[in-house]
Amino acid sequence: MRLVRYTYPTLRSPVSALGSFSRSPWSGLESEIDRLFETALGGLTEGSSTTRFPVDIYEDKENTYVRAELPGVSRDDINVEMVEDYLTISASRKTAAAKEDGQPEQSLSFSRSVTIPEQVQSEKVSAAYENGVLTVTLPKREEAKPKKVSVSVR
Amino acid sequence: MSLLNPQSSTINRSSRSESSNAANLGPTVKPLYEVKETDDAYGLTVYLPGVSKENLEITAEAGELRIVGRRAWQQPEGWTALYRESANASYALSLSHDNSLDVDAIAAELRDGVLRVSLPKAEALKPRKIAVS
Repeated sequence: MRLVRYTYPTLRSPVSALGSFSRSPWSGLESEIDRLFETALGGLTEGSSTTRFPVDIYEDKENTYVRAELPGVSRDDINVEMVEDYLTISASRKTAAAKEDGQPEQSLSFSRSVTIPEQVQSEKVSAAYENGVLTVTLPKREEAKPKKVSVSVR
Repeated sequence: MSLLNPQSSTINRSSRSESSNAANLGPTVKPLYEVKETDDAYGLTVYLPGVSKENLEITAEAGELRIVGRRAWQQPEGWTALYRESANASYALSLSHDNSLDVDAIAAELRDGVLRVSLPKAEALKPRKIAVS
């Protein structure tokens, strides 16, 4: 995960350089700081309009969990596939607003594949969709679970 | 006509956030949103994945529409995060308008993490009589 996005230096540099002659040297500081925060945090919210949506992976002793933020997708349009170590989540969203305008319905599709770090029982994978977040539960294989072996000491 | 200019709300550090719960929100992120205009209303679509109806607050006052959504889901005990792309931060969005909205007729619907708000435009501003006491 990147911490700070690199912003390509655009026109703003020569503009601010020129502007600094006429204004106080501090006048641009606040907007500059705002821009820094926008750049750093902007990446956190961009997921839902682009085809790449944010995905989180968690685990506990029994399962591995994949959570994907997919707001506004109907359950029928979500596909979850497990091929070997890869979990592929694909979905499409139809723009509901377009119907009112009489425009043709548009749809937007998303797809994302993640590697699951543990061996899972692929036939027992389940998924739930709530509040625009998809949670896929992948039960670990027996041999991948942490085992407790008690050794008797004589 | 200008509508709904975003106010700087990426980091909620403004002093005007006196509203009850702004203090304990912690860092907030600005959600993705779209505004569409028709003849008699504005349609606002805000993407708020992970926010349930109970955790969403919409306030309209003094030319400002403020939407605050907290994530309903908390990481359960025993879960370890292996990889994260989403944030735990709450969503906050402040949009200012020029009071040409019919604030009483605002309607909002949250479904599957998408909030749709319809903001009807006000009837032509009627002249008002002010009684002098």
